[in-house]
Amino acid sequence: MEKGSEVGFVRLDALKKLGKVGRVILVGSGKGGVGKSLVACGLALRLSEMGRRIGVLDTDLHGASVPDYLGVSPPLSSGRGGLVPKESGKLKVMSVALFTGDNPVPVRGAGKEGLITELFALTDWGDLDFLVVDLPPSTGDELLTAFGLFGRKSTMLLVTTPSPSSLRVVSRLSRLAASEKVSVAGAVVNMAFAGAGRERIYPFGRKTISEIEERLDARILVQIPLDPAVSTGGLRRALRAKGEFSASFDELASSFMKV
Amino acid sequence: MGFHLFAAAALQDSNTNSPARGLLHELGIAQSIVDYAVSEAKSRNSARIAEIQIEVGELAMIDRSILSNALRMLKSGPMLDRCKFRVKVRRVSFSCRKCSAKWTMAEAMKQLEKVPQELLVREPDSKEVPLHFLPSLYPAFVRCPKCGSADLDVTAGEDVRIMRLVFE
Repeated sequence: MEKGSEVGFVRLDALKKLGKVGRVILVGSGKGGVGKSLVACGLALRLSEMGRRIGVLDTDLHGASVPDYLGVSPPLSSGRGGLVPKESGKLKVMSVALFTGDNPVPVRGAGKEGLITELFALTDWGDLDFLVVDLPPSTGDELLTAFGLFGRKSTMLLVTTPSPSSLRVVSRLSRLAASEKVSVAGAVVNMAFAGAGRERIYPFGRKTISEIEERLDARILVQIPLDPAVSTGGLRRALRAKGEFSASFDELASSFMKV
Repeated sequence: MGFHLFAAAALQDSNTNSPARGLLHELGIAQSIVDYAVSEAKSRNSARIAEIQIEVGELAMIDRSILSNALRMLKSGPMLDRCKFRVKVRRVSFSCRKCSAKWTMAEAMKQLEKVPQELLVREPDSKEVPLHFLPSLYPAFVRCPKCGSADLDVTAGEDVRIMRLVFE
């Protein structure tokens, strides 16, 4: 008796690793510059603070910013169970930037699928309650790879700003998720406003929640204000401070704790 | 303790003259291959695996002799005790999309030797270039030796693949 079809070692390992992950949260938008990485990292930090075992996989190969938000850098090490993810508090973090530093990663289509699969499969994540995946802009290779790799364990978290162009692009991603039968947990309106009280401004326009929900065909889980403290003091410090920014991440993480 | 002995034996039996280098990755691959073959045999109600054919892409920078030794050392139990492992290396060829130059892994290795120390992945007894773990990452480290472009193609040879399983 023979089995002649080729089987890649990396794909085998990916299946093995996925078996130890409870749920995969795909944080995506399709649009660039709306704050996907910030939302992914903030959500991961909050879920971790709530006692969940969390991994963060950065699939933004060309513009990785997860290491900056979470304060991790090369070099990596390897152990018996594979590549040892960097630790940021209790978070386990893996990103292509941890291999390449400041080198550009000019990888084409098929190479992206291989790279993301290798990155997930060869990392020793251990048992995770949630793997938070930071997706790049676009609805191309990286997104389709994530859909294929994580399958039914995954749910999407859409990130948008209130701007019409952002809503248009994100609605396309919402439709793609539906056609690929990936559930959408809901949407986050990032940079929804800045300031507080009468001083509140709406830099990307003002839309009602129902208008946005109708446009995206998804439930709005939370609106996150634009907080300059993230740029000046870092994400962790902004999350520790009391205020609407910090509270919005409490609310977002709580919505996943119910899942 | 057992693991260190195992790793040391695999290295000693290796035919390479290279200094002590990463073993853990090869051991992990060997274990995955054996696990998969055993699960396939069980799903087919086969009592024994006669042969496993494996192809190692050159770009994956896997030490064939270390992998072969690791596979042999995992031959325990009636399912695997007569199993033959055939490990073949598939050569890789690079080509430049800009100037059409072609070159081999040997040429690429000259560039990989210059990867900065801080980007090398630490293993217990060695430091490995990132491609040892992520072969698909070659565009970040390999450039066309003729025009310097990073817009490259490679022929197959990036992955470790099980090509054929033979059951008794």
